[in-house]
Amino acid sequence: MSDIPNIRFRPATEENPATRWALIGAAFLGLSVLVFAPLIAVFAEALADGVGASLKSLASPDARDAIRLTLTIAAISVPLNAAFGIAAAWLITKFDFRGKAFLITLIDLPFSVSPVVAGLCIVLMFGTNSLVGGWLVAQGYPIVFAMPGIILATMFVTFPFAARELIPVMIEQGRAEEEAALTLGASGWRTFWTVTLPNIRWALLYGVLLCNARAMGEFGAVAVVSGKIRGQTATMPTTIEMLYQEYLSVAAFSLAAVLALLALVTLLLKTALEIHHADQLAASHRA
Amino acid sequence: MHIEIDEISKAFGTTAALHPVSLSLPSGALVALLGPSGSGKTTLLRILGGLEFPTSGRVRFDGQDATGLTVQERRAGFVFQSYALFRHMSVFDNIAYGLKARPRASRPTREEIARRVTKLLELIQLPDIGARYPSQLSGGQRQRVALARALAIEPRMLLLDEPFGALDAKVRKELRQGLRDIHDTTGLSTIFVTHDQEEAMELADLVVVMSMGRIEQIGKPQDIRARPATHFVREFISA
Amino acid sequence: MGKPLIHRSPMPGLGLSMGVTLTMLSLVVLLPIGALLLKGAHYGAAGIWETVNRERVWAALFLSFRLSLFAAAFNLIFGVLLAWVLVRYRFPGRRILDAAVDLPFALPTAVAGISLTALYAPNGAFGQLAAEVGWKIAYTQWGIFIALVFVGLPFVTRTVQPVIEEIEREVEEASATLGATRLHTLRHVILPMLTPAALTGFALALARAVGEYGSVIFIAGNIPLVTEIAPLLIIIQLEEFNYDAAAAIGIAMLLISFAMLLVINLIQVWSRRRIGYV
Repeated sequence: MSDIPNIRFRPATEENPATRWALIGAAFLGLSVLVFAPLIAVFAEALADGVGASLKSLASPDARDAIRLTLTIAAISVPLNAAFGIAAAWLITKFDFRGKAFLITLIDLPFSVSPVVAGLCIVLMFGTNSLVGGWLVAQGYPIVFAMPGIILATMFVTFPFAARELIPVMIEQGRAEEEAALTLGASGWRTFWTVTLPNIRWALLYGVLLCNARAMGEFGAVAVVSGKIRGQTATMPTTIEMLYQEYLSVAAFSLAAVLALLALVTLLLKTALEIHHADQLAASHRA
Repeated sequence: MHIEIDEISKAFGTTAALHPVSLSLPSGALVALLGPSGSGKTTLLRILGGLEFPTSGRVRFDGQDATGLTVQERRAGFVFQSYALFRHMSVFDNIAYGLKARPRASRPTREEIARRVTKLLELIQLPDIGARYPSQLSGGQRQRVALARALAIEPRMLLLDEPFGALDAKVRKELRQGLRDIHDTTGLSTIFVTHDQEEAMELADLVVVMSMGRIEQIGKPQDIRARPATHFVREFISA
Repeated sequence: MGKPLIHRSPMPGLGLSMGVTLTMLSLVVLLPIGALLLKGAHYGAAGIWETVNRERVWAALFLSFRLSLFAAAFNLIFGVLLAWVLVRYRFPGRRILDAAVDLPFALPTAVAGISLTALYAPNGAFGQLAAEVGWKIAYTQWGIFIALVFVGLPFVTRTVQPVIEEIEREVEEASATLGATRLHTLRHVILPMLTPAALTGFALALARAVGEYGSVIFIAGNIPLVTEIAPLLIIIQLEEFNYDAAAAIGIAMLLISFAMLLVINLIQVWSRRRIGYV
C-alpha cells in the first residue's frame, strides 16, 4: 500500500527495536528473579508434603490462634488508621494554619523509622520499667507483651498510609463543593457524608488496602513488643518465624502462603482500582 | 533551499490527515501554511521536519530525495508550538545543545560554541540572558530562545509550528517583525504554520491555504485576497 | 510575621479534626519517639557513645548502611529501567509486571525473608546454581544484599514513573531535530529530568533498607561482625533487658533516618529551585 517500500521509518522518540526488546527482557528477568521466584517458592515449599499436610498445619491450634490474633489486630488498627487519615486530611486540606508542612513531615515520619526502632520506642514508653507502663501494669492493663502494644506498634508503622492517599486527592478537589453544600444549609456532618466522602472513597479504599496488607504482615515492630507468647501474642508473621526456627518448614510456609495470598489479593484489588478509578487516584500518584 | 513536496499523503489508521498534496517552495521564501485546526498543516510541517512519516509520496530538498532522511540528518531548524525548551539547562546550554550533540569530528571547539551562542543571543536581541533558565523567561523571550536554538545548528531551513500561538496580542506583533528580520538576515527558506489569516497575510511571501488535508490555494497574500480560489478560502480570509 | 496562627474559615470540624489528628499523632508516634529520646538523655551522650563505640556495634551499623547503599544503588538503576519500560513500551504482560513491582510492599517481610532463604540457601533452587560456581549467597553479605534489593525495589520505579509520563514528546523531538542521536537525547535530556525523582526514590529505598529487619534476619546468618545488622543488635539488647544500650543504638539509627529525611527534602528543594518542578 505504500510506494516507499525501501525506507524504514522510526519515530524520533523511540529506541531501536533491539534496544527496546533488550530492556523489556531485562525487566522480565529482573522481576522474575527478584519477585516471581520468591512468590512461587512460598507456595512450592508450603505444598512440599502435599495439600493435606499443609491444610493440617493450618488447622493446628497455634496457627489458628495466630490467624485470629492477626485478624483482630487488623480489624482494630486499620479503621483507626482510616479515621486518623480522614481527620488529618480534612485538617490539612480544609484549613490554613502555620506549621502545616511540619505537621505533614511528622505524619510521614514513621515511614523513615525502622520498625525495630518503632517497637523499641513503644517498649520504652509503655514497658514495665517505664513510668506510664509501670502504673498501667499496676492497674492491671499491661501494654507491652500484650494486645494493646501490638496494636500500637502496628499503628505506628502503618500511620501515614490513609493520610498520604487522601491529602493529594483532597487538595486537588479543593473546597468549592463543600462550601456550596454549606451555603445550601447542610450541616458539617451532612456535608462530609454526602459531598466529601463520595469524592474520596476510592482513594480511601486504596489507602486502607495498603494499610491492611502492612498491618497483617508487620514483623519487626511486633516482634519487639509482643513477647511472642504462643496462643496469646504470637501473630501470623511471628508464628512463621517460630515455626521456621523449629524447622517446621511446611507449617511455616503454609502460614506464609496464606499471607502471600492476601498480598496477591491486595495487588489484584489495587490494580483494579487503578484501572477503574484512575482519575481519582491520579492525584496521589502525581504528588 | 528549494523544497519540493510530491504527492505526499498521510493516514493515521483509517483517517486521512493529508490527501496527496504537492507543493514547490522557492529557495529563501517565507511561507505560511494557513488553515483551521485539523487541516493537516502541522502534519505537513512535521513530515518536512522528519518527525512524521508520509504514507506515500516524496520530499525533495534542492532536487535530492530526502524522504528517507532521519530527523537528525535533515538539519531542519524546528520551533515547536510549546517551544520545548530544556528546562534543566540554562539559555546558553539550550542554544549550544545542537552543536554539543555533534559527533566529535564535526563538533566546534568550546570557544567557537561560546562565540556562536553569543552571536545568536545578539541576533534575537537578548544578549544578557545566557545564564538564566527557561522558567525565568517571559513567553516572548522563550520563543526567541527557541528560535536561536534552532538557528544554532546552521539549519538548511526553518520550520515553525504556530510560533506566535502562545503569546498575547502585543508581543505577537513585535515578534512578527522579529521573525521577518531574522528571515531576511539569514536568507533561510522558512515555513510557519498558523491559523491566523492576518498573521499569514502580513508576514509571508507565499501563503498556502489548507483545509481537510487538502491545499485550497497557493499564492501571494495580495493575490489570495484579491482572487480567492474557492468558497472556503473566501470564507476563511474574511473571518 | 503578621500571619495569624490559623486563618478563619467557614469550614466546620476544625476542633474535631485537629483533636483527632494531634491526639493520635502524639499517642502513637510522638510520645513513643519522645520516650526513646528521653531514655537517651538520661543515659547521656557519653553513655550512648560508649555503647555505640564498640567494634560489634560499629560493624553492624556500617554493614547495614553499606549494604543498604549498594542495594539502593542497584535499585536506582534497575528502577529507572523498569519505570521506562513500563511507561514507554507496550508488550504482553506489562500489567503483570507493573503489579509485580508492588509485591515487596504487599508481601510481609517475614514471608519474603523465609522464601528468599529457601531459594538462595545452598540446597535452594538458586543457591544450588550459585554453589556450582563456588558462590555462597545465603548466610553471607550477598544474602543481605538480595533481601535489601527486594524490599527497596518499588521506591525508585514508583517515584520515577509519573515523571516519565509527564515528559512532553516535543522536548525529545526538539533534541532530535537539533541533530542529537537517541542515546544523546536519553543521556542529556531525559536523564537529567528524571534525576530528582530518581534520587528521591533512592533515598527512600536507602532509608527503608537501613531499618529493615524481617526479610534480612533469616537469610543473613547473623554472625557478629560479619552478617549482623544493626536492628538485630537492638533486639539482642532488649532480650537481655539492656534497655539503655538498646536505646543508644536506636538513637543512632534514628539519627541516620532523620539525616536521610533531610537529604530527601533538600533534593526536592534543590530540584524545585533549579527547574521549577519535582
